[in-house]
Amino acid sequence: MHALEVKDLSKSFGSIHAVDNASFSVPEGSIFGLIGRNGAGKTTTIRMMMGIYLPDSGEVNLRGVKVGQEFKNKAGYLPEERGLYKKMKILDTLLFFAEVKGKSGRAVEKKAIEYLKRFELYDRRLTKVEELSKGNQQKIQFIATILHDPDFIILDEPFSGLDPINTNLLREIIMEKKQEGKVIILSTHLMDFAEKMCDHLAMIDQGKVILHGSLTDIKAKYSQRNIALNYSGDISFLKGNPLVEKITDFGNSTGIRVKEEKHTQELLKALIERNVIIKKFDANDISLQEIFVELAGKEDDPFEVKEVRNVQ
Amino acid sequence: MFNNRILAVIKRELREKLLSKSFIIMTLLMPALMFGFILIQTFIMSFEGGKLAIKIVAETPSLMNDFKTELDTADFVKSGKIQIECLSMDKPAFKSYLKSIKKEILDEKTNAVLFIGTNAVMDKKVEIYSQTSNPSITEKLNKPINKVLVNGYFAGRLSYSEMQLAAKGVDFYGYTITKTEGIKEESHGNLVLSYVLTMLLYMGLLTAGTQMMQSVMEEKTNRVVEILLSSLKPKELLGGKIIGASVTSFFQMLIWLSPIILLLSTTLFQIPAKYIPDVSLYHFAYLFFNFICGLIIYIGLFAAVGSIFDNAQDAQQGLMPIMLLILIPFFISFSMLKDPSSPIAEISSMLPFASIIVMPPRMTVSPVAAWQIAVSMLVNILTVFGVILLSGKIYRIGILRTGTKPKWSEVIKWLKYKN
Repeated sequence: MHALEVKDLSKSFGSIHAVDNASFSVPEGSIFGLIGRNGAGKTTTIRMMMGIYLPDSGEVNLRGVKVGQEFKNKAGYLPEERGLYKKMKILDTLLFFAEVKGKSGRAVEKKAIEYLKRFELYDRRLTKVEELSKGNQQKIQFIATILHDPDFIILDEPFSGLDPINTNLLREIIMEKKQEGKVIILSTHLMDFAEKMCDHLAMIDQGKVILHGSLTDIKAKYSQRNIALNYSGDISFLKGNPLVEKITDFGNSTGIRVKEEKHTQELLKALIERNVIIKKFDANDISLQEIFVELAGKEDDPFEVKEVRNVQ
Repeated sequence: MFNNRILAVIKRELREKLLSKSFIIMTLLMPALMFGFILIQTFIMSFEGGKLAIKIVAETPSLMNDFKTELDTADFVKSGKIQIECLSMDKPAFKSYLKSIKKEILDEKTNAVLFIGTNAVMDKKVEIYSQTSNPSITEKLNKPINKVLVNGYFAGRLSYSEMQLAAKGVDFYGYTITKTEGIKEESHGNLVLSYVLTMLLYMGLLTAGTQMMQSVMEEKTNRVVEILLSSLKPKELLGGKIIGASVTSFFQMLIWLSPIILLLSTTLFQIPAKYIPDVSLYHFAYLFFNFICGLIIYIGLFAAVGSIFDNAQDAQQGLMPIMLLILIPFFISFSMLKDPSSPIAEISSMLPFASIIVMPPRMTVSPVAAWQIAVSMLVNILTVFGVILLSGKIYRIGILRTGTKPKWSEVIKWLKYKN
């Protein structure tokens, strides 16, 4: 069952097609990743889903019915460009954002205090927002997004600007919300994050959805002949090697595509023979980034084998 | 249309504005400032610097004595502002005397020396010698000297009471003719009230508008607006903000006007009858209706401007056309104090935008036909709807737009956008 369905959504600003006939669906209870590089059209898509922009054409359906105020009330949205009322007190800010979602009263206040304690901001509940650090303001904004207990949590680049500890805290809460059966839509240009957190995704490039489905299906489809390699040593001999179709260096891992599936074993053998220390050799595995590069194709030219660094 | 979300926005606006220190300060300080300015102006105008020393030389001792008696009773002598020494000598003696005190005059120990010959009674010619001519000296001395000269001329020909009458100026007693109540004694209060209303309307609308513009720009540059619009529609947000700001300003106006209303409806204050304005509650009812329309109109326009721009500098430029919509009526309203029946005032009191600032003061200084009031009410209501429509359309596009400053031609295109 699909919770949300995006159908043929288009939006232009003058001559720029920000979103071009985008369609995808978000299953119930999933963490859904909307991925693509900066300026691909992710934010515009989300804004249309939230009813902030009216689409030029197409529609967004919530469980079969066109989205409207009901969806707005049920959704919590953390925009990419964060902002709060600077002069407002923290607790007041949280209560205000819950109130425009139609939630007010003691229970919400109790919940707000709970979250503030969890994010270690309880002592500062009566200070003004402007007195908080940027990271802390971001935490307040995240609390404001989920305080009214939304069924849909839409997070646009949620991790940007957060330190590792708070990133983990955020991830923990996102996972909790998933356990509670909420739908989480996560937009990010960081493929690593998306790969670790999302179970479904849509990949957007230049306003078009170039790929969507469950992460497992997508990976299965694109992982054939692909090897994800973590190593130390020198693999420059693979450059021009007849077994290899292409090599892409992603920094923390290297993606290798062999020409035929049977070449996988030969490649492993060649690596061992050359004394390359193999930390991870994952046959039939492909990172999201590789898939993205292969489909979008502009970030690097995938068919040109990159100079491979010698990682010690 | 009206719902809890709008209510939440209104509540926030009220809490931010009505309970803020700046509101309390503004509300109390503004009238004080406004009348302070008038006082300062009057004070500067009346400020004359240090004391003046003047010597009055009369050709005959009897004339000298007349001047002395007359001037000793003058206010400026009693208050010590002008020190007057009266002397008596003939023309040749005066010439040498003038030479002898030349240094005194150049050092400004003596500011002026007057010579009044016996002929002055006939031709009223008075010589004045000074280093720099000071108009306030001649202005002050004109009346008492003239009186002495006139008395001198008519002495023995007219009785004292006849001379008193001759010296007296014309006393105007004003009566106002109205349709309903016949003739009644005129009150200065209406002019004062008209002036006060013009100032209050101008200030009230301008402050409300500017605050709204800042608030919209804050939400825009802060990007708070994106979260808000994920919860409510642009028109709900704008509506809530306009209502919140209008209530605040209305409340402020009520506080500003409360002394006047109390004055008129109770006997708590005792002020001279000629300063009590002759207005009825009907005037105030219209004023409040008018002010509410004005608030919505101007706050709406300022909000639209705030949504178009994302920095204060650009917004200041964009504000120009709207400032003119406030300033021109403001000047018309002021000119009306000199000529309440001016046709410009009459016409502009029924024009969109201008009506807001011109009509209420006009109603206090001259009778306004019922049909004109009806027209201006209708015009105001139509303007309110026009502005809501226009601002709403600009706001929903502008508020999410960032980047380069849009041209006016682009803004006009926004009106046609779906969203």
